[in-house]
Amino acid sequence: MDEFDIIETPENVDLQRRLAGIGSRFAAGLIDHLLIGLMLAALIVVTLLFHVNPIVLGTDLAEQFGAVAVAVLTILFFLIYWGYFFFFELWMNGQTPGKKSLKIRVVRLEGGAITFDSIAVRNLLRVVDVLGFYGVAGIAMFLTRKSQRLGDLAAGTVVISEDVPDYAANSDSKQKVLDDQPVCGAALTATRLTPQEYRLLHNYWLRREQLTIEARRRLLPQLMAPILTRLGESVPADSPAVLEARLESLILQREGAPREEAVPPPPTQGDAPQAEGEDA
Amino acid sequence: MTPARFLDTRQEIWARLEALAAKAGKRTVRSLTDEELHELTRLYPAVAVDVARARMYKVDDATQRRVNQIAIAAHGLLYRRKSSRSLPMVWRFFRHDYPRLFRRLWAFMTLATVLFLVGMMGTYVATRIVPSYAYLFVPQGLDVSGAREVTSEDISERFRQMPNSPMAARIMTNNISVAFVAFALGITAGLGTCYVLLANAMMLGGFAAHFANHGLSYPLWSFLAPHGVLEIFAILVSAAAGLRLGLSLAVPGSMTRGASLRAGAREAVLLVLGTIPMFLIAGFIEGFITPSYIPGIAKIVLGVTVASVVIVYLLFVGRGIRSSNLESRNKSKTEEEAK
Repeated sequence: MDEFDIIETPENVDLQRRLAGIGSRFAAGLIDHLLIGLMLAALIVVTLLFHVNPIVLGTDLAEQFGAVAVAVLTILFFLIYWGYFFFFELWMNGQTPGKKSLKIRVVRLEGGAITFDSIAVRNLLRVVDVLGFYGVAGIAMFLTRKSQRLGDLAAGTVVISEDVPDYAANSDSKQKVLDDQPVCGAALTATRLTPQEYRLLHNYWLRREQLTIEARRRLLPQLMAPILTRLGESVPADSPAVLEARLESLILQREGAPREEAVPPPPTQGDAPQAEGEDA
Repeated sequence: MTPARFLDTRQEIWARLEALAAKAGKRTVRSLTDEELHELTRLYPAVAVDVARARMYKVDDATQRRVNQIAIAAHGLLYRRKSSRSLPMVWRFFRHDYPRLFRRLWAFMTLATVLFLVGMMGTYVATRIVPSYAYLFVPQGLDVSGAREVTSEDISERFRQMPNSPMAARIMTNNISVAFVAFALGITAGLGTCYVLLANAMMLGGFAAHFANHGLSYPLWSFLAPHGVLEIFAILVSAAAGLRLGLSLAVPGSMTRGASLRAGAREAVLLVLGTIPMFLIAGFIEGFITPSYIPGIAKIVLGVTVASVVIVYLLFVGRGIRSSNLESRNKSKTEEEAK
């Protein structure tokens, strides 16, 4: 569902941005246009007050004042109508109140903060995008790879989402490779682990990449402390890295000899074999 | 190095860069001290590499996203385009850049002018030959075909009924809107811009012919000229901007269509934004001078003079001044090559 956009940096590392979807952009637009509507409505009410108010209409001076007020209001009307998106995107660095509430932001295609001229381009072209209740914008966003409306295409901008969703809540169950194979005797004799202990550690090891660092910090001592105590080894105090290395070495003894390593591990890690996944 | 060790050793650096990026905000690095700025430049490349390493080690998704996020924030801070304060920028823009831009895009200006003249003259001639065509262009309210003699006073009288300042404000904002729309419609490969241009040209041509048919050319022009010459010129400039945008999309040349469109839009938008002061001047004249009781010939002279000043500004200001480092660098390069 989520679409990503890649920025290539001068460091040759690709950074990923999550593009804002049509839905959140439409919702943000709705909020912004409601705000514009409210402001214009307030202005119209004020204008009418100046015209109709009998106190204002009474004297010459008041009439002059009323005329100037109407002129000012006319200019304000124009500024809100054409300038709302422009000024907010300029001041709030690519955000408007609507975009802010949906945690989306306009950024440059090449990465980095949006510039004056691109803000001007994308918001002047809004008069074309808005045709058919943003139908033109919708079609353009549907057809372009990076969900850009016409204004974005001309300005060289994309709208990204800065909302960090909770992927862990619905993470892909296919990735949970649980070990339910029978444990071979040789491994158990080599490691002096019970089958339950072995399976527990192996399952942790298989799933470790899906856990947060904090969870791993918390889990490792809980898992390893009783086992290491039983094996008669000392429990390294408060060092998840060492614990995980030890766990890895226990598990991998089953697979036979530890794999070759390009760089020998630091002494604190004991004889931990190299981590998985480098060739993936 | 194991993934766990990788996470363990880098944690501190990520937290530091995260804190720096947060302090700088999304907006600017100005809020950082010199040492912090140094630290930022030193930490960012390391963290950018960490993004790749985190992928290699297949550390958990949340961490990968976090490192990626930190790197993007720092990248955005370091590799942003040079920005300057707005008031000096506006001054420099009108002091050199805008006239230079105008001269660079002279071909589009010529194209817009030719289109406008063709539309206007065509309508004028047609309406002179068949007077009833006028009603296609002239709003009913301005019908002068009645038996009564119409003077320039009568035309101006319509304007006098309204107080000056609201009139000026309405005319300014309305005209700037037309200019913006003429620019924006350029995205239709220029067709929309041509429509706006021709619609305005035909209205003016129809008007002029209609008044000429009734022998009222002088009153009309003495009414239109003070503000109209500059106003029409500014509309032509914004139409030129629309055409620049449209042709960059339609005829990308050696660039990709997207890159051509972006380059065209950047130039075109500056061209159209520069018309705003012209509309402000024209609107001011239309609100305060057009309805006044100055003799007609003086009004015409005033209108032509104001427009001439603007055109002279666009044609001659900023010549020989190097407006940007890039251009001066290119220039010195070519000079070296010439030697």
